[in-house]
Amino acid sequence: MEELRAALAIARKDMRNLSRYKWSMFATVFIPLYQGVIPAFLFGAAFAVGGRVIGLESAIGTDNLSGFIFMGGVIAGLVATTFWSMAMSLRWEMDLGTLEPTWLTPTRHDTILIGRAIFGVAQFIVGQVILFAVGIAFFGLHFSLNVVYALPALLVAVVAMLGVAYLLAGIVLVIREANFFVDCTNFLYGIASGVSFPITFLPLVLQPLALLLPTTYAMDLLRQHALGARPLFDPALEYVGLIVTTLLVFPVGRWAFARAERTMRVRGTLGQY
Amino acid sequence: MTLAAADLRAFVAAVRKELRTVRRYPTLWLGLVFWPVLLPASYVLMGQAYSGNDPKAIAAFAERSGTVEVAGFVFVGFAMYMWLSTILWGPGTALRTEQMRGTLEAMFLTPTSRLVALFGPPAAALPTLGLTFVVMGAAMWILFGVALPLDGVLRTLIVIAFALPALYAIGTLFAAGVLRFGEIGPIVQLVRGIFVLACGITFPVLMLPGWAQAVASVLPPTYIVQDIRAVLLRGLGLADVAGDLAITVGLTAVFAVFAIVIFRALERSARRSGMLGRY
Repeated sequence: MEELRAALAIARKDMRNLSRYKWSMFATVFIPLYQGVIPAFLFGAAFAVGGRVIGLESAIGTDNLSGFIFMGGVIAGLVATTFWSMAMSLRWEMDLGTLEPTWLTPTRHDTILIGRAIFGVAQFIVGQVILFAVGIAFFGLHFSLNVVYALPALLVAVVAMLGVAYLLAGIVLVIREANFFVDCTNFLYGIASGVSFPITFLPLVLQPLALLLPTTYAMDLLRQHALGARPLFDPALEYVGLIVTTLLVFPVGRWAFARAERTMRVRGTLGQY
Repeated sequence: MTLAAADLRAFVAAVRKELRTVRRYPTLWLGLVFWPVLLPASYVLMGQAYSGNDPKAIAAFAERSGTVEVAGFVFVGFAMYMWLSTILWGPGTALRTEQMRGTLEAMFLTPTSRLVALFGPPAAALPTLGLTFVVMGAAMWILFGVALPLDGVLRTLIVIAFALPALYAIGTLFAAGVLRFGEIGPIVQLVRGIFVLACGITFPVLMLPGWAQAVASVLPPTYIVQDIRAVLLRGLGLADVAGDLAITVGLTAVFAVFAIVIFRALERSARRSGMLGRY
């Protein structure tokens, strides 16, 4: 119970910080719109023949371009939350010089990351609700109510991403100047998960790597339920893939985080900038 | 030594100082290979997914964009994006960096021209940008088999020569904002977003609604990216884009006069309010 209180306090603290920066709150919705959704939508629409995106239809079985992009945005948002709000937040703590004192409190170190995750996921959900409202109002976004059947896949994906966050946080703690690393890996992870285009369009050598990511299966299941898109594999097999990769990544992430933490305590680099 | 020669020396010194600083951070160079290649490459793959490589879809794209060369269209657009990001915010970053270090006031007390402070550090980014374009050209050729013709590249350099003053003029407007407001990064991000959406960077301008196309028509980057695509991908000559270049020069003059007036007014205001020495 004490740990839960601490996690919620961290989430509240992050929320309060964000509320002080109005632009950052606005950017939560605006940046995905202008950097991702609008350019992708208009670029895709440039290929439309008679109002139908025939290429997309032949690739995934539906020409619902806005649905394809906005559903991709859900997983892209989840990935970004993992990389920036969870993993990279430890670096910001380091920048402020508060990582060492935070580490010395009796709170479990996992709790610090989980507190960040609670805030990150809450911010992600609010952002997605607003984005979907914008999509429905201005981009003709429509999807089946069967999307609710994808919720279990999304929940498992959130757990998987927590494992990824542990792994990344460990790396961030060790390499310290991690901005470029997080930026690049965030981009690559999203692309390999199929958020921008189906993974069948990736170079052949990268496709097996994409299948190692839990978000690839979550992305496919989400589009299948919401848009009636043709899945990569049988949905039952995709659920197996999602669960197996989650079961693998979570312990690996925790192990990496524990190793990184130990390394830092031995080297005395927790307090270093 | 004449005043102009002294300013030139100061300008070269500012460029050298900036190059030396950048050299100390080698990880920045990794970005030079990563983003210029992977960002547009992901869009090309997106284009393949949206078109399904169907000739009818490609023809529809060509009708709207003026070229069947999707990879070329995307890479040129992203080259413009990198360019915009660096140059639009270059002069502003230069002033803001000095402001944060607490050296802006001292620098403005020296007898050097303001042009040195504004354009010296951003000029140091030009070799890096040139290298970025080379990397992008090589990536386009190796990954997607699009080889750029040499004469097209030469014509592009001339278009760039017309474009640089326009972009620096807009950059000066942003820099003036630093003198008044200090941190204007968020505004720049917003404006950059508008430029990316309005100027046909990643999709044809024709895809925009009419009112947005009207906005695009008064922004120099719209003409610049359009002309670079025309001479590089469609093989048009400089005479074919002369009209656009004339419009770019005209818009440059308007932006430059506006930037000079605003910059002078805000500098006067910053001297009165003491903003130059504040963080």
